[in-house]
Amino acid sequence: MGSATFRATFRIAGLRKSFGPNEVLRGVSLELRGGEVTVLMGANGAGKSTLVKIMSGIYRADRGVMMLGETPFAPSSPAEAMRAGVVTVHQNIDDGVVGALDVASNLVLDRFNGPGRGIFFNPRRTRREAREVAQRMGLSIDLKADLTDLPLADRQMVAIARAMAHKPQVMVLDEPTSSLSSHEANRLFSLIDRLRERGVAILYISHRMSDIRRVADRIVSLRDGAISGLFEDKPLDYEGAVDAMLGQSLGQSGIAARAATKPVFEARDLQLKPGATPFSLAVGAGEIVAVTGLVGVGKTLLSETVFGLQAPLAGAMRLDGTSYAPATPAAAIARGVFLVAKDRAKTGIVPDFNVYENMSLPFLPRLSRLGVTRRGTERAAARAQIADLKIVCRSERDDLATLSGGNQQKVTVARWLAQPSRLLVLDEPFQGVDISARHDIAAKLRGSAGDRATLIFLTELDEALETADRILVMSEHTLVGEHRNENVDMERLLADVAGGQVGAA
Amino acid sequence: MRFTRRTVAKMAAGLLGASMLMPVGASAQDMPAPFDNPGDVEIALVRYLSTGDFFQAYLSGVEAQAKALGVNLRVLDSRQDAALQADMVDQAIALGVDGIIIQHGLTESMKEAAQRAVDAGIKVVAFDVNVENEAIPQIEQSDRDLARLALEQAIKDNGEEWKAGYVYVAGIAPLDRRNETWLQFKEKYPGIEEVAQFGTLDNPIANSVANQARSVVTANPDIQVMFAPYDEFAKGVKIAVDEAGLTDSIKIYSADVSTADISAMREPGSAWVATAATNPAVVGEVSVRALAMLLAGEDPGQSVIVPPTLITQDVLNEGDIKNMDELAAKLPQFAHADVAVPDWMPLPPRD
Amino acid sequence: MTEKLGMDSQLAEKTNADRPKPAARAVLPMRHLAIRYGFLTLLFGLIVFFSLATRGFTSPQAAVFILQSVSITGILALGVTATLVVGGFDLSIGSIATSSMMAAAYVMVVLEQNALVAVLACLAIGALVGLINGLIICYMRVPDLLATLGMMFLLIGLQRIPTEGRSIAAGMTMPDGSTAEGTFSPAFLALGRHRFDFFIQNLVPASVVVLIVLAVLIWFFLEYTRFGRMMYAVGSNARAAEFAGAPVKAYKIWAYVISGVFASIGGILLAARLGRGDIASGNNLLLDAVAAALIGFAVLGAAKPNAFGTAIGALFVGVLLQGLTMMNVPYYTQDFVKGAVLVIALVFTFALLGRTR
Repeated sequence: MGSATFRATFRIAGLRKSFGPNEVLRGVSLELRGGEVTVLMGANGAGKSTLVKIMSGIYRADRGVMMLGETPFAPSSPAEAMRAGVVTVHQNIDDGVVGALDVASNLVLDRFNGPGRGIFFNPRRTRREAREVAQRMGLSIDLKADLTDLPLADRQMVAIARAMAHKPQVMVLDEPTSSLSSHEANRLFSLIDRLRERGVAILYISHRMSDIRRVADRIVSLRDGAISGLFEDKPLDYEGAVDAMLGQSLGQSGIAARAATKPVFEARDLQLKPGATPFSLAVGAGEIVAVTGLVGVGKTLLSETVFGLQAPLAGAMRLDGTSYAPATPAAAIARGVFLVAKDRAKTGIVPDFNVYENMSLPFLPRLSRLGVTRRGTERAAARAQIADLKIVCRSERDDLATLSGGNQQKVTVARWLAQPSRLLVLDEPFQGVDISARHDIAAKLRGSAGDRATLIFLTELDEALETADRILVMSEHTLVGEHRNENVDMERLLADVAGGQVGAA
Repeated sequence: MRFTRRTVAKMAAGLLGASMLMPVGASAQDMPAPFDNPGDVEIALVRYLSTGDFFQAYLSGVEAQAKALGVNLRVLDSRQDAALQADMVDQAIALGVDGIIIQHGLTESMKEAAQRAVDAGIKVVAFDVNVENEAIPQIEQSDRDLARLALEQAIKDNGEEWKAGYVYVAGIAPLDRRNETWLQFKEKYPGIEEVAQFGTLDNPIANSVANQARSVVTANPDIQVMFAPYDEFAKGVKIAVDEAGLTDSIKIYSADVSTADISAMREPGSAWVATAATNPAVVGEVSVRALAMLLAGEDPGQSVIVPPTLITQDVLNEGDIKNMDELAAKLPQFAHADVAVPDWMPLPPRD
Repeated sequence: MTEKLGMDSQLAEKTNADRPKPAARAVLPMRHLAIRYGFLTLLFGLIVFFSLATRGFTSPQAAVFILQSVSITGILALGVTATLVVGGFDLSIGSIATSSMMAAAYVMVVLEQNALVAVLACLAIGALVGLINGLIICYMRVPDLLATLGMMFLLIGLQRIPTEGRSIAAGMTMPDGSTAEGTFSPAFLALGRHRFDFFIQNLVPASVVVLIVLAVLIWFFLEYTRFGRMMYAVGSNARAAEFAGAPVKAYKIWAYVISGVFASIGGILLAARLGRGDIASGNNLLLDAVAAALIGFAVLGAAKPNAFGTAIGALFVGVLLQGLTMMNVPYYTQDFVKGAVLVIALVFTFALLGRTR
């Protein structure tokens, strides 16, 4: 590691950014040094992507300064940022490459635009320039190959190599491994090593603890739009970083943890992903179990497996003592397993429908007679839910699009509470929901638990502590820890979240 | 856009072939060169339009006459691709054919290709496309005559003063030619009052025209004559007249004929009283015969016109004519045109 | 993949949280009324205008005739509405209609079968083509526009093959030189020509009755049955419908089957009206039907495909075209008028309602 020259290449001071009344960045100060990989950790909504967008010239900061070396850096467009020497490889690989072109054209694509370029396309020159770029990066990909034919990792490499063609001083990598296999990720890491040796200052954004352990020289935690921790002493304090990212407010909540009576849902030796360790899981009647863990550790995959959207690679599930292997969501619903899926805009709400139509969506067969819907019944059921969950709307006939985000989320939760269930699964039910709506939903979940089993997937620890009787920790697509929500050993919990092995050590 | 709708007439009429026309199959020895050895003669038909009954019948006429002559026929079909059609002429030149029939096409694209063929010493005739070349005879079915025959019948039936509805869509060459005749007639007979003009080529054409015609007859119940110089138009007008219950007060005059048209005209109380038509199969035969004359060193004339026939409801009823075959059998002038028939010319067999 | 999206949507949520409350809508009652009743008012205004400007527009016969003139495109439009509801599109309806017309003629004239067989054959063809469309779209992942475009060409070609490009009429000459012996059965022709008594003798043609029955059926199906509701859910957010346990692909396939069957019914009526089988692409039928369905978006401020709107849209086009024809407006302006109405309706839907799909 180039420990000789720690030259501060990029500094951010007092960066602020608001969207309307909503302050996303509240005074971020940060220093990136040449030849070092700085890992930025932050929960959803902490402001990571806003920060990246400001650095890459997509947004402008409201206040604060950025300095590249000794010159102020305030790009007004991505192209300007790139020319100044700050390049960003975005999370979505296909934003960084053009699928319809070959590798060579992609590598030198940015040279096609900008002042002083000729009108004509010279394939030979393109290939020559591309070969230089590829050699510099140690890239061994067929330059004539069509980009769409390449595996994801190679595409990612091309995107990075293309970014490198600008000879950047600062490179921002936004969750670059999110769609890569571990083998592919290793190739990426060695590329990062090469960049580091050449003195590039790298800002690496990731949730994956294994990645972070592999590449980080220092870790910065971002929480609620401000830096909440900086870790640079070796060995790096990974748990401290997770702690700082998730917040210090983690106290014991006033929940009286209930013990499960009889088990309702059981999973045995479930394997979600090739290479992942199988795990077992049981949720009892009247119990609320939270599964927590960082983003991308398999929580959504597990929720979809339980709901019949995915088949497990191995293992078996049982519901109420009988075998349970739903092939479709319809089969899951028929057995009384409901899922409040993550990201309601994509998987939950029907924007053209009004409130009651949204609520009755999964249960139309039950609410219809001879296929004809009974609107009176539907509306009465919806009115009850609106009152129960304190949904703010004029009537059950309001279009869903007119409701605020928190109320839309309440509607999607209410949809699945309107009918009795055996196992209610909720994936990030508090996403994009303000604190009062969150309390309303959590209270309703606890109040209605009955003899139903409830499984909630949450990234935010404090949400889990607020809602659950029992907290399971997931990491690398398997369960690594279990905590009864009573006098939780926070250190052990955080260690579990940061990765099982460390906690065990 | 030629008409897509004339039902096939298979080559006509047995009785006639034997009794009235030339003896079938003059032997090869009687024919002038190069037809003394017809197996060595090859002709090409280069088509622009091919789908639809009219073109099917035209092709069958070409085939029948080629067979009667004993020459080899090559059919090149560009399927409405003007550039391809020009290429196909070049292809035919390369193949070394003796004669080419150009069937439809665009003047702009065909003019030079046709000239190239003539330059290569190949005899060329053109059907319904003007290639602006004096060496190339034009085969025509006379649209003006079609319109004239139908309108003369209208004058005969209704006198010189009547209110007319006229179905017309501009920009279609044969309809434009028929329109010229209509304009002349209106000038010649000031008693003809055109109270409504309509028309559309939205397909199915008859259905769309029926919708329009229905509105027209509702708004103008005093119309006496509908001039619909295209059988699709006439069919649509007839549907509308039937639906409006005005069969007694309106008479329909049209051009072109098909088996379906015959049965529509013969329905009891049908308002469709007359149509003028040329037999497309006969046009096909004439095309080949004109080409054969050129090959034999004779001159068929710069313009070879196939005369149309007037077909009235009365004629159909009197002869109990039910389809195109019977029409050809009962109306010899429809089954055969005495055009481009030198003594040596063998005619297709009439079965 | 889905896990990564959380951050952005959360941000978006925060920015959306303080958008104007729904109450703001009530502040503009005029605008609200215009959205809801604007198109119906326009239709009424047109009828009044034509009644004053032309002879014979107001008679019951004229009213029935306008319905008759739109009955075939209207039926096709109701079918395509079903595919629009599930977020799809069916470009093949025009050619399904003309293929079914050819099939009806072929069954009766060439195969010498009776009216019932002809009707059943047409319906089977429509259902089969719709099923194939649906399977190609759902299982082969071909985009709807492309799949149905391909089917359109396929059918335009296919309808020519049995008769080698000839149209079918009683007494036609077959490719092998023989003459077809069959005829259109009177029962079949009655579908196009029979008129039912309705206060006035022989007033309502069968095709109008078919149109009204189908319109009521599809309207009830889409608005009042759970299947219709689910089809709307599939069209609005297919993933949400899937997560609610709906067999999304089955609903989509059914929508194309409905579309195919309706188009074939249109073809049956076409054959019955013309009394023969015409080679035709049916593209004009397609365009008119799609225009009617899209105009329907603007009716009652629905801003989405709906059967009532489609029926009104078809009626609107019919009133306009028949009125203009009665006023002797030249034919070449009619497409322009149709296009103008469509553009106005779409502007009405998307700009005035401020919703985008």
